Amino acid sequence: MSTMFADTILIVFISVCTALLAEGITWVLVYRTEKYKRLKAEVEKQSKKLEKKKETITESAGRQQKKKIERQEEKLKNNNRDLSMVRMKSMFAIGFCFTALMGMFNSIFDGRVVAKLPFVPLSYIQGLSHRNLLGEDFTDCSFIFLYILCTMSIRQDPVLDIDPSTATAMTHPTLERRRAGYKWRRFGIDPLATGGVGCSARARLHV
Amino acid sequence: MTSSSRRKEEGPLLNGGVKQSTWSKAFNSNAVWEEKDEFLDVIYWLRQIIAIILGVIWVFCAHPVKTLIFCIINAGVLYVYFSSFQQIDEEEYGGTWELTKEGFMTSFALFLVVWIIFYTALHYD
Repeated sequence: MSTMFADTILIVFISVCTALLAEGITWVLVYRTEKYKRLKAEVEKQSKKLEKKKETITESAGRQQKKKIERQEEKLKNNNRDLSMVRMKSMFAIGFCFTALMGMFNSIFDGRVVAKLPFVPLSYIQGLSHRNLLGEDFTDCSFIFLYILCTMSIRQDPVLDIDPSTATAMTHPTLERRRAGYKWRRFGIDPLATGGVGCSARARLHV
Repeated sequence: MTSSSRRKEEGPLLNGGVKQSTWSKAFNSNAVWEEKDEFLDVIYWLRQIIAIILGVIWVFCAHPVKTLIFCIINAGVLYVYFSSFQQIDEEEYGGTWELTKEGFMTSFALFLVVWIIFYTALHYD
């Protein structure tokens, strides 16, 4: 196996490990705390209540009914915001860890072509894909570009680690997209399972 | 399909009915989806599978504008899947756009990674 291909596989492995590390930190600092579990349960309860109320409301519903729904929506938004604030803690910790890790990996892979791109990237991406590499062959791939792509294929947002459909959750509470660890349930892992990380009863892989 | 593997896919309900597993529902048209997240997960995983398949195929295919073609195939296949095959009400899931973008960026990144890995392995190993 050539060195370049070995580097490619190594970087995929590194991105998997760092993704797991980030989720592990988030679980330790956020998911297993009582405050987060309480807020999450509150948000789910309010979402279901709001959904039921919206289904029963009619065109001719009084102002009071509509005001009540608006108050409940406001309450739900506030709880969602509190939920996001709780997660902020883990984001700082992850940011700190990753700054140190990226510094280390960048120095290891500095100047090394880790893969060959089957396309020439757009000019504004070449600064990232050809970072710290010699020569003018823009199909040479740098560590950082491949790492970012690998991380994006594992996590929703590799930088902020937020659910991009947050806005949807606010306007469509029935979708419940802000449930903690939903992306891990796709892999059959429920980080809020009793006793810690475990497999959900309805593993998404269904194997 | 043997009876034991069929039993693996289906489980009994308390009322005596038989509950289908998610994957058997995914491949049955007009399946009933009690949980919205379940259907969205199916969309997500189908997108990732398409990304892996196209990432491998693209290594052998010399065609310009491959990325655009990937986006069209990915969005198009899933659109046909949820609108014609499953015939779900898009409004329950936030509209066609929400279903189209569910897992899209992740699958695009996965497609690029698979494509790069196979290309590097075949041409520079």
